Amino acid sequence: MNASLMILEIIVGIAALGLLLVDLWMPVSQKKFLGYAAAAVLGIVLIYSFYAPQFSGLFNGQTQLFAFGNMYVLDPLALYFKRFFLVAAIIVLFMAVEFADRIDTGISEFYALILFALLGMMYAASANDFVMVFVSLELITVTFYVLTSYQRAKQASLEAGIKYLILGALSSAVLVFGIALVFGVSGTTSFPRILAQNQTLIGSPIFLLGSLMVLCGIAFKIAAFPFQSWAPDVYQGSPGPVTAFLAVGSKAAGFVLLLRILFGSLPDVVTHWPHVLIIISGISILYGNLCAIPQRNLKRLLGYSSISNAGYILLGVAALSREGDVAVLYYLLGYLFTVLGAFAVINRITRGQENEDISLLAGLYQRSPLLALCLTLSMASLVGVPSVAGFMGKFLLVMAAIQKGAGDPAYYILVFITIAGVGISAYYYFGVVRAIYFSKNATDLSPIPISLPTRMIIYVCMAGMIYLGLFPQAFISLASNAVKVLHG
Amino acid sequence: MIHVGLEHYLTVSILLFCLGLLGTITRRSLLVIYMSLELMLNAANLALVSFSRFNKSLDGQVMVFFIVTVAAAEVAVGLALIVALYRKRQTAHVEDLTTMKL
Repeated sequence: MNASLMILEIIVGIAALGLLLVDLWMPVSQKKFLGYAAAAVLGIVLIYSFYAPQFSGLFNGQTQLFAFGNMYVLDPLALYFKRFFLVAAIIVLFMAVEFADRIDTGISEFYALILFALLGMMYAASANDFVMVFVSLELITVTFYVLTSYQRAKQASLEAGIKYLILGALSSAVLVFGIALVFGVSGTTSFPRILAQNQTLIGSPIFLLGSLMVLCGIAFKIAAFPFQSWAPDVYQGSPGPVTAFLAVGSKAAGFVLLLRILFGSLPDVVTHWPHVLIIISGISILYGNLCAIPQRNLKRLLGYSSISNAGYILLGVAALSREGDVAVLYYLLGYLFTVLGAFAVINRITRGQENEDISLLAGLYQRSPLLALCLTLSMASLVGVPSVAGFMGKFLLVMAAIQKGAGDPAYYILVFITIAGVGISAYYYFGVVRAIYFSKNATDLSPIPISLPTRMIIYVCMAGMIYLGLFPQAFISLASNAVKVLHG
Repeated sequence: MIHVGLEHYLTVSILLFCLGLLGTITRRSLLVIYMSLELMLNAANLALVSFSRFNKSLDGQVMVFFIVTVAAAEVAVGLALIVALYRKRQTAHVEDLTTMKL
């Protein structure tokens, strides 16, 4: 038992509970600003994660620290993702403060729920036991049920919440049954102990079925085919900041769990079915990109784009190599700045509007060059234009797959599908850019005032996208250090 | 006197799971769908408890405690959402969830 390792989670948990308490004696007009307090606490936690004395073992070259009977593991991978989630949550909290006027009641609970979801994600990054996987995933999912339906006066938001609820509960039931089967055959829920018996367990069909069901539960979280159907509706109906957090945080939490389970617990399952990840990745890329073409709603468009991005990232996981995992971590970081930047712009331009149609972008270039520039950069990054974050991420993913291609030609097919997918995606992402700069039917050309917090989010996201695109080396070595634990 | 072994428990558990899945897919009322989902979770609980009993390890029982607790939280949120929908639309059918398309 070494509870002090969980110091980051403990602070976030106390901050979330404290937020609910402070809400009681805060005047209504001031409640909105609690979001800044929460973001400040997260900022301190983020800085503290670099200096915490409890982690000194990690900084001095020790690879893994354990707590709670090996259920909780702290290693560079966990720290990388915890910092990732903290950065995402800070930006999302700023967005939420900007969004506060569109939420009728309970704004402090809104912030608190974001912190609880963050808590679940941080625990997920450290999961080393199936009990931990289940509890952290449910903490994320149940808070998101509430968050997605937070504007419950709006039919779309309520509908998004219920769809997410039904499909989320279905996927967790499948996940739990899978865990039960894995436990039944192996007699334990602990990752290292299942890993030790992998060679003998792989012969058991029940174990294989259980592992498959566990992977289905995770595939739902990352919105990969065939568990993607919730993504467009939920992305469209949810409040803007929630969609952003869902796209970045929830997806990354799914990926860190996938990495932990695949490499820490069930590696032989993938060698038993060598092509399952490749197929899922390829179909997700094609499905997401093809379905995004006719979309007119910006959030729905990003929903389909998130399915195709899940496919791209799975390409790195499917490579089952160190290079692939580095690419996954790097791509997710670029995706964070890209998607949050895009949502900051979308949240601003949809203020006071009935819909989120692409036509809202008409004349954006004249109305606010900053918003136009940020959205253009985001779209460029999503396509993979060189010198923006997305290009470097896709380059690393494809390189990892090509390296494995010599042994298995299926990887070459997947690389071809990826490149085809990028080509298709260029069409609809360019449609957004065209609406910004060349749309002829702009009715309203009044300048859009941008508040300071939104401006800060946009600057940070643009800086992140450009820095990651131009100087990838520092973050590649960081990611490469983080995935060392997965590959012995 | 027949001997009730692990396979009997597992058969029941798998049957419950499949029934739940069937209910989730075929039923149109949100409440019934939600009941079916709970049935699936409880099928997993039954499997865990019986594995735990026959593996002589308590880990599965502990897991069941977590599942029951989490399921209670999920029901609290889920029913609240369904009630909110009912207040707005006066029904709780999946056919009412079709405003978002293309």
